[in-house]
Amino acid sequence: MPPGSLSKRKGVDVNEHQSQYVIVGGSAAGMAAAHTIRAKDVRGTITVLSEEPDVPYFRPLIPFLVSGQKQPEDMALTGSGPYMGADIAVKTGARVAACDPDSRSLTLEDGTCYGYEKVLFATGSRPYVPPEIEGTGAEGVFALRTLADARSMAARAARTAHAVMLGGGLLNLKAAFALLERGVKVTLVVYSPEVLSQLMDPEDAYLVRKALDDAGLTIHTGASATAIQSDPSGVTGVALDNGEELACQMVCIGKGVRPNVEFLQGSGVAVDGGIVADRFTAASRPDTYAAGDVAVTHDPISGAPIMTALWTNAVEMGRCAGMNMAGIKTAYTGTFGILNATQVADEPFVAMGVVHTRSGDYEIHRRATATTFRKLVFDPGGNRLVGAVFVGDIRNAGLYRYVIRERMDVTGFKPAIIDHTLHYGHFIC
Amino acid sequence: MSQPKEIFVRTDRCVGCRSCITACAVEHSASKTLFGAIAETPRPKSRVYVEWVAPDHKVPLVCRHCEDAPCMHACISGAIHRDADGVVRTDADKCIGCWTCVMVCPYGVIGRHLEEHKAYRCDRCPDREIPACVDACPTGALVYQTVPAYSGAARQHASRELVQAEGG
Ligand SMILES: Cc1cc2nc3c(=O)[nH]c(=O)nc-3n(C[C@H](O)[C@H](O)[C@H](O)COP(=O)(O)OP(=O)(O)OC[C@H]3O[C@@H](n4cnc5c(N)ncnc54)[C@H](O)[C@@H]3O)c2cc1C
Ligand code: SF4
Ligand code: SF4
Repeated sequence: MPPGSLSKRKGVDVNEHQSQYVIVGGSAAGMAAAHTIRAKDVRGTITVLSEEPDVPYFRPLIPFLVSGQKQPEDMALTGSGPYMGADIAVKTGARVAACDPDSRSLTLEDGTCYGYEKVLFATGSRPYVPPEIEGTGAEGVFALRTLADARSMAARAARTAHAVMLGGGLLNLKAAFALLERGVKVTLVVYSPEVLSQLMDPEDAYLVRKALDDAGLTIHTGASATAIQSDPSGVTGVALDNGEELACQMVCIGKGVRPNVEFLQGSGVAVDGGIVADRFTAASRPDTYAAGDVAVTHDPISGAPIMTALWTNAVEMGRCAGMNMAGIKTAYTGTFGILNATQVADEPFVAMGVVHTRSGDYEIHRRATATTFRKLVFDPGGNRLVGAVFVGDIRNAGLYRYVIRERMDVTGFKPAIIDHTLHYGHFIC
Repeated sequence: MSQPKEIFVRTDRCVGCRSCITACAVEHSASKTLFGAIAETPRPKSRVYVEWVAPDHKVPLVCRHCEDAPCMHACISGAIHRDADGVVRTDADKCIGCWTCVMVCPYGVIGRHLEEHKAYRCDRCPDREIPACVDACPTGALVYQTVPAYSGAARQHASRELVQAEGG
């Protein structure tokens, strides 16, 4: 519909648009869904509404803008990988303020309305900023999530000699390395007894910790910030609960994320933490779907409801939602909450499935060499692999993931799993 | 190419001579000769692997350029795409060495180039009519064929099913 022609007529709301498929959020889940719909329905109109001013990009790449190793155009999603972008309208700067499933319409903050036949909520999550820390509003305090955040962080980095990172998760480590790359001194303040506590037990993280120490990060464990100090130039320091004060010009908060669900208030769409999605990615009202960080899905092993914060999961669920929206009923197989591969300093590692084993009944095999560590976690009976951590040597990690996910009986090749010599031949011979 | 060819594996014919591995490394070396390749640093990497299973099965493995390639969808930097010939390619310029693809490939055929901190895999030898590994195999354990032309062994089907389950 050409809105321009309508605007001349009286009595017709110029700000009404109609699209067969409307997707709220133009990131991993939203864009994967849009491309899947396009592959299955060549004609249906697809509109992606995105709050951000930037066109869709690969979010995990934003630390490279901080380090100066990549520019925004190197991170653009459209035209890269499987995202060829055929005939998908993306509106940036379009924040959805309300959803009315009865009239199948969305209202943007500026009052514009979008009617839909099917809608996907792929609004992701945003950083959690603990309210108990005073002074988080100061200039120079960041929680790295968007390209816009990365831009301001890069600008501030030029004036930063010392940065303090609050939280020892993967995102903060990535941000920390980006700053180290720029020559900024970096201190990590971690409440847990060890870094990466979400991804491994403290005793399993020693090689990663050593790599971080060797790379020049200063790490305070068992401490948390109480207040951020600032003056008109921005951040000047951080006060810790152990009485210490760290002078710094930048603070980066990495304390986890919270789903973006506020726009659904009053819509009747069921929210329980995140948006509740059924096995076919449908949300609770007719023709509504949810995928990505914002969705509550299920663990394939326990069946328990979980929310994840992973690009890979968001894409997979987004693709599944796209199939369902295009009319091809497809069950979402669920996912592990932990499914991480990365490299920090020179240390590659993979953590997947059940990795925390201090409580619970498991059969655990740990093996370590001077440069590698691995932990294989089996169910109590010992014939199903449920989790794995590999540090230093991550060879063939995909096979272990497959064994976990398919709940394979490992009787025939268990020694190969424990020895980390599993290969595809074991599945077919 | 209307019907792209694929590399098929006949495990029953493999004698484990590793000719394919050498040929692949040479093809992906700067000099493209055996003597040149041996001298290069970093050492040229093979993208084909030969594994062994008791009592005495040899299993050549190479990227299958899967239909719903899990690696391509999982890549967090858009470094993996499928080209017009159906070949799933890793773009080394875009790759950041996060190893997410290694974590999701159910065949274990993505290598990690440690010196360059990049992932690598079979590229079907774009400069050759027949991939180097297939050319080098003395027993016909590697076959380069279109899918319908290859009335394959049951094992090939078993591996296809694996991918389908994975594609979700
Ligand atoms: C620095 C960094 C590194 C990361 N590294 C990895 C990694 O290595 N591996 C991995 O698996 N994951 C990684 N992640 C996590 C990954 O980026 C997220 O899990 C993924 O982006 C989630 O995708 P999504 O589509 O669900 O939501 P998001 O990417 O959060 O996108 C949601 C979009 O919706 C928009 N939006 C929200 N509300 C509205 C509204 N009301 N109206 C319109 N638009 C709205 C948001 O602005 C946003 O653009 C990383 C994240 C960061 C920040
Ligand atoms: S998942 Fe593995 S076998 Fe399939 S295309 Fe990717 S690298 Fe190749
Ligand atoms: S290692 Fe490279 S190709 Fe593989 S997922 Fe990461 S960025 Fe993509």
